[in-house]
Amino acid sequence: MNINRSNKRMLTGNKAAAWGARLAGVEYVPAFPITPQTEIVETLSQWFAGGTLKGKFTNMDSEHSMFMAAGSAAATGVRVFTASSSQGILYGMESLYTVTGWRVPFVMVNVSRGLATPITLEADHNDVMSTRDCGLIQLHAETCQEILDFVLMGYKIAEHPLVSVPVLVNMDGFVLSFSREPVVIPDEKSARDFLPAFQPAQPVFQASLPMARASAVFGGGTYTYFRIQQDLAVRQAETVFNETAVEFADRFGRHYEPLERFHLDDAEVVFVMSNSFATKGKSAVLRLRKQGVKAGLLKIRMFRPFPDEAVANALKGRAKVAVIDQNLAPGMGGITYPEIVAAMYGRDDCPQKILSVIGGLGGKDIKENDFLSIVEKLNDPESKGPVFLYDEGDWKQFQQMQKIAQL
Amino acid sequence: MLRVRFHGRGGQGIKTASQVLGTAAFLSGFQAQDFPLYGAERRGAPIVAFTRIDKEPILERGPVAFPDLILVGDETLLEDSQAAPACGADALTTLLVNSTKAPNSLKDKLNLLTMPVTCGLTKLCLKHLNAGMILSTALAAAAARLTGLIPLNHLLEAVEIELAEFSPEQLQKNLDLVREVFELLNPVVFQEREEAGLFPSKLMALEQQEVRDAAPLITATGNMNLRKTGNWRIHRPEIDYEECNHCMICYARCPEGVIKEDAEGKPEIDYDHCKGCMICAQECPKHAIKTLWEMDYEHQSQ
Ligand code: SF4
Ligand code: SF4
Repeated sequence: MNINRSNKRMLTGNKAAAWGARLAGVEYVPAFPITPQTEIVETLSQWFAGGTLKGKFTNMDSEHSMFMAAGSAAATGVRVFTASSSQGILYGMESLYTVTGWRVPFVMVNVSRGLATPITLEADHNDVMSTRDCGLIQLHAETCQEILDFVLMGYKIAEHPLVSVPVLVNMDGFVLSFSREPVVIPDEKSARDFLPAFQPAQPVFQASLPMARASAVFGGGTYTYFRIQQDLAVRQAETVFNETAVEFADRFGRHYEPLERFHLDDAEVVFVMSNSFATKGKSAVLRLRKQGVKAGLLKIRMFRPFPDEAVANALKGRAKVAVIDQNLAPGMGGITYPEIVAAMYGRDDCPQKILSVIGGLGGKDIKENDFLSIVEKLNDPESKGPVFLYDEGDWKQFQQMQKIAQL
Repeated sequence: MLRVRFHGRGGQGIKTASQVLGTAAFLSGFQAQDFPLYGAERRGAPIVAFTRIDKEPILERGPVAFPDLILVGDETLLEDSQAAPACGADALTTLLVNSTKAPNSLKDKLNLLTMPVTCGLTKLCLKHLNAGMILSTALAAAAARLTGLIPLNHLLEAVEIELAEFSPEQLQKNLDLVREVFELLNPVVFQEREEAGLFPSKLMALEQQEVRDAAPLITATGNMNLRKTGNWRIHRPEIDYEECNHCMICYARCPEGVIKEDAEGKPEIDYDHCKGCMICAQECPKHAIKTLWEMDYEHQSQ
């Protein structure tokens, strides 16, 4: 029976991530479950148990040991995959900083979910943004196809001799992790040709070769040397991403850049977005254009390294820009907004207005009408950010809840 | 674009229904997207799932607020204000209810703008699968047929793909069921929704509140009274007081704390909140708690 027509089938974001790992031929998966990520490691565990994947799948006792195990295994020269979300990422944070400093490559997926408190299961990006400064390379996916492709490309980038840094692929919980859409699954042979077995360019742990990785250094100078090296390696990943993307496109026909430009060429109003809600942004752009607003969208796929030159080139000469953050740094605002503004700093073709907008917190929908409100704010010379996408309906709903919750 | 919304309860195969429809649409050459909405719920709780079908790439994500087609697998949900299966239905929406009732009686009861379609899927599921409340393939078949977009062969292929882990006999039973449902119903003509112009949301800036109102504090106790979870039940525990020796083990073991001691020291189940997990029946040393089907019970009591 023809189960997949031309290798395309309906996959959730989670299954797409698992397929990426499968096609990469991962050899070790340390795992710990957390909603909405669990389907990824569940799927992989079945493939290991059934013999589809050769190697070892281990249930860990926490995310802290899970990331440590991922880094340690990568330091022995095997190909490692792992996944987490939200509180799990926070719990493993110490290990994340530790293993990125080891300069070992692996790929992890984060399925975004808002952080407690209050507790939620639905998506926003405070979890992934908390790993922004860990020294990870970060690729954010809008579609299930991007997830699979970024995991495959992720290994190529992470394992590049000039990079040797873990890659994080991000997707939104629920809206993408549980949504199915048609995904092209590359055949195993082409995947293997694109991504041959992992050949570490550096010494790896072996019984016959004693070595230390977590060296202690004092006085700051040596510390600074290693940190600058880390910075250079992560920056190098942009060039490597672009090279990898060309090779990927040659083989699979899908070409990715660190940024995606949607109706940007003649746009006067630009929304800067990332992840699955960028789809909604694109739809809003098309509808706004029907109403005579020359809108466009800039989607950021790569957050680390931050492609500042590319961002500046994409936004130069645009009249008005709204940076929509699905995250909040209380007391400051949107986390990516200052990065966009800094990319434009000192350029004479800088947009007249760059507004910080915060929406989609805890999975709250960003409605198409909200985009028109953003346009109004951009056109209002008095408006200041951050503008929260919070309306009278939300307030009424909250008051109802409050009545039930409070005496 | 055709937007389809499925309503049912956890355990009835609502998510699978949306996926069979999604795959069938995909195999028929359409762009498709399917998505279940569930959070911390469990078996028996109201569940929603969605399928979007279009010729063009789908630029929507998340729940469907204004469906063209609604399928309600469980009639008891029609009364549930939180599940609100008819929510968002308008003059362009077709609603199918798994029911043997007359369509116009439901139309009046639900204040619908269009005549609903009723179809006794439970009976067909019983006939083919020997399980009246496993509705996944039956609902998918009903939806596929009503859309008029999906030929039977693609639907059957989709069932084979989505039920790949079933035994050949179970699969065959589902295929027979799908065939019968498909042949029983007729396609509906759906009108493409006109795209309304955008109008700005009424954004507001919140003011700072005192911390007791600003933090997620719950000071009202006992608000579970407002959330009747009794309708999550598929099974119904019933205590046989002839057998019961009042040991109160059921009281101690009920994870929901909905068994209380009445004035005579006997256990009493609060059916407004009992979720039908049947742990009490498992734990009762006297086997004094019977397991009934909620559906059968309702029929008996009517
Ligand atoms: S079935 Fe029994 S144990 Fe479960 S919630 Fe109801 S009374 Fe409690
Ligand atoms: S556990 Fe059984 S015997 Fe004991 S009180 Fe409950 S119903 Fe009666």
